[in-house]
Amino acid sequence: MRKTLALVLAALLLVFVGGRALAATDLLETGSTLLYPLMNLWVAAYQQAHGDVQITTQGTGSGTGISQAISGVAQIGASDAYMADAQMKNTPMLNIPLAISAQQINYNVPGLNNVHLNLSGPVLAAIYSGQIQYWDDAKIKDINKQYGSKLPHQQIVPIHRADGSGDTFIFTQYLSKSTPSWAGGPGYGTTISWPSVGTAVGATGNPGMVQTCQNTVGSIAYIGVSFLNQTDKAGLGYAALENQAGKFVLPTATTIAAAARALDAKTPGDERISLIFAPGEDSYPIINYEYAIVNPKQGDAAKAAELKKFLDWSLESSGGQSEKFLGAVHFLPLPASIVAKSKAQIEKIQ
Amino acid sequence: MAAINLSVRDAAAKKAASPPILQRVSAQAIARVVTGVAALISFGIIFLMLFFLVAYAYPAIRFNGLGFFISPIWNIGNQYGSGTVTRAGFSAEAGASFGALVFIFGSVVTAVITMIFAVPLSLMVALSLVYRVPRQIRPLANALVELMAGVPSVVYGLWGLVVLVPWIGGALAPWVTAHLGFIPFLGGASGSGNGLAASVFILALMVIPIMVATTRDVILAQSTSLFEASMALGSTSWQAMTWAVVPSVRKGVVASVLLAFGRALGETIAVLMVCGAAINSFPQNFFSPVNTIAAVIVSQLESALTDASGMAQRSLAELACVLFIITLLVNVIARGIMRGADRREGAKA
Amino acid sequence: MAEMTRGVAPKTYASRAWWALSVACLVAVIGILFAIFAFVLARGVPALRPELFFTPTHGIAGGLSNAIVGTFYLVAIGLFMVIVVGLGTAIWTVEFAPPTGQKVIRFMVDVLAGIPSIVVGYFLYVALVETAGWGFSLIAGSLALAIFMLPYVVRAADVALTNVPTALKEGAFALGARPAMVISSINFPYALPGILTGVLVATGIGLGETAPLIYTAGWSNYLPQLALTHSPVGYLTYVVWTYISQPFEESHQLAYAAAALLMIFVFLTNLLARSFVEYKLGGNRQRN
Repeated sequence: MRKTLALVLAALLLVFVGGRALAATDLLETGSTLLYPLMNLWVAAYQQAHGDVQITTQGTGSGTGISQAISGVAQIGASDAYMADAQMKNTPMLNIPLAISAQQINYNVPGLNNVHLNLSGPVLAAIYSGQIQYWDDAKIKDINKQYGSKLPHQQIVPIHRADGSGDTFIFTQYLSKSTPSWAGGPGYGTTISWPSVGTAVGATGNPGMVQTCQNTVGSIAYIGVSFLNQTDKAGLGYAALENQAGKFVLPTATTIAAAARALDAKTPGDERISLIFAPGEDSYPIINYEYAIVNPKQGDAAKAAELKKFLDWSLESSGGQSEKFLGAVHFLPLPASIVAKSKAQIEKIQ
Repeated sequence: MAAINLSVRDAAAKKAASPPILQRVSAQAIARVVTGVAALISFGIIFLMLFFLVAYAYPAIRFNGLGFFISPIWNIGNQYGSGTVTRAGFSAEAGASFGALVFIFGSVVTAVITMIFAVPLSLMVALSLVYRVPRQIRPLANALVELMAGVPSVVYGLWGLVVLVPWIGGALAPWVTAHLGFIPFLGGASGSGNGLAASVFILALMVIPIMVATTRDVILAQSTSLFEASMALGSTSWQAMTWAVVPSVRKGVVASVLLAFGRALGETIAVLMVCGAAINSFPQNFFSPVNTIAAVIVSQLESALTDASGMAQRSLAELACVLFIITLLVNVIARGIMRGADRREGAKA
Repeated sequence: MAEMTRGVAPKTYASRAWWALSVACLVAVIGILFAIFAFVLARGVPALRPELFFTPTHGIAGGLSNAIVGTFYLVAIGLFMVIVVGLGTAIWTVEFAPPTGQKVIRFMVDVLAGIPSIVVGYFLYVALVETAGWGFSLIAGSLALAIFMLPYVVRAADVALTNVPTALKEGAFALGARPAMVISSINFPYALPGILTGVLVATGIGLGETAPLIYTAGWSNYLPQLALTHSPVGYLTYVVWTYISQPFEESHQLAYAAAALLMIFVFLTNLLARSFVEYKLGGNRQRN
């Protein structure tokens, strides 16, 4: 009896210790739900060619991406938000842009889901602070003259992200840059202290935003452009947003590219820059770099090598930057100068 | 021949009568020590957890002070600004202020309203299981109720998310706010379905089986003489039940209610899926979004980890301590009552 | 007892009405239960195609092999720890403990059963995943489950061992058996059905936990790697929780399939546990 027990224990130990040595290199990517659909496409294609590495993807929110990359649990922290100075001081990380994405404002207003309402930063700030409570409010009617009568007396349900989110970051940055009272109040971040609004609901992840918006009449939500197909299918409308030049623009490849062009020259070496509220007549106001937050000191040489290979592949025009991936999620490829900067950062990984 | 047998038998008897002392003592001692260590582990887990969490949350406890329990604003501070705020020797990002009132309120309100619905319901179900269900079906009915207790909470959350929330948001809430809106707490916005009502419904489904099982056990363990005596004095069977039998088992019933209350306070994943994740606002009516301590720890944890100063994470640990202590107290009181109640050996604890 | 309420007492309308209400409550509660079962099984069972058991999840869809194997590993390792510590605790309580020690242990174990799942998960996250640096790992996840399963096994073993008739034990001692031998050859076989019931109940609990595993086992799209640390593991409850909120029909299918599997596993363990109870020697439980 004792002998068999000892044998079993020894076998288990052997299996565990040995199993560790034989494991394939595995990488964990976690974070932004905005980047998640693209990551899935990338990983599926990449693994067909490179079978010796196993990459797990997770859509958990940019906050998780940043924190797990910092703690070393994840190798790639996907984030729509670049890291703050305070965070960089604690643990200097590489913020590596992989693509250019955008965000739309979806709404569920009976009768108006098939057209594009005009919305501006100040109006959105007022909605999310509870100052505007109904869809037929004067301020909304002001900027939507042609739909004035069609706006129903429906209570607005502002939906925000409950988890630490890069979408929250870029949305609140838009509000901060366009509305001084918001900048002085809640400000921007991956998590902010949302003003107290009785009807406000928190949803988790972009998918949760889509679902809650779909289920709630009168709701408004900020959702990443990689989910535009889903929101269209769900029958939600999306808004034309007011940019710095005062024009109301929809998120199309042209408008996103215009915004990117206006600011990419200003991108610093560490590539932490906000692309929100870019100048220009055609610029869409909410666009951002999709970042891979990576620790330059990986600790594991094998993992570091595989990580660099994957990131390099994602920046190649025949690899991750090709239209068949980016087009499916309405993202834009990085301009050549940014690709060069990203590659320089990748070199620092060891 | 007989002499040889005798000597062999004597030798065997001698051996059996006095086994070597060393052998006897060490087997017993080893068993005592090994099992004692195991018992020590079981005993110590709670203290280990409590101690560790409190130690980890200490900076937050000092930083937040009493405001933690009074302020409804949960703000991890401006991560993208510069500057910090320092209190009691610990610092966090500028603007940080951790107030957990909304979550504590949410936990308590959700649990209390759940019990208001669940306790009478459980009592009714238990009574009917004991007195009304025909003998043939009884094992089946009991089995079903106990099965309910074993369903994973995430499955309840799944059903809640896909069936309950759309029904509440699309049908129940609009009807109630429109027709019963004059009753306070039932009027106003009908919301998205995610909120207090959904949380209460799901929690009730989860605690009812627990209470039914225990209540049924204590009623069954009760002797029938009370019941007969009451009926002999002329009461109806229902009166006999409610006036004689149930009060006599009230200790066990109260204990099970408290246990269920503790469970309702601590339930995480099912509530997380349907509560609406309210932040910085109190529920305005029965259908408003709400947040509980357990749910907010999950939904805010990763945000907290982006806080460069680490204060958000420690504040969440403080929140976990609060929940831990509340449920510990409730459980300790419940178990204390239960140990005092008279139960037949072998009945489910 | 049902018979007692007929024929003897005056049948007032009030009494009848109350009893009818109580039955209505029973029907309502069981009705909702059936609705939930039917809902999950109706959507989940058709989605349980054979390929599901052999392909892992990838991205938004795929199969459940990594989740099933992961759940199995987590529960198995957790059970191993729990049986060792739990049986040890129960034996100490029944055989070696002074009366105060018995009361204290029983009390603490009962209280352990009431701890919120997120508290345990958060504690282990801070202690093991972060501070000890083990990362999301099999061992952290199993420990989380072990903490939840422990009270059930200890309680069941405690009750079972206490119920061994003293006559049997004394007879064994009288025949000259040593204490260790008494424990192994008399107590255990007699208490085994009760202990196994506790183990099965604990398994049911372990299968259904989500919150503590989110922050200890993490998640992996691949089969568990048989490494104790730094190896995130997938598990079925995570699939149900996250895939239902994806806006894709394939993800929903996977979530329902995982939920159906969970329900089936829980049914089975419950059934097994109940059959052990019925099988118990002497029928010393107040069962009908």
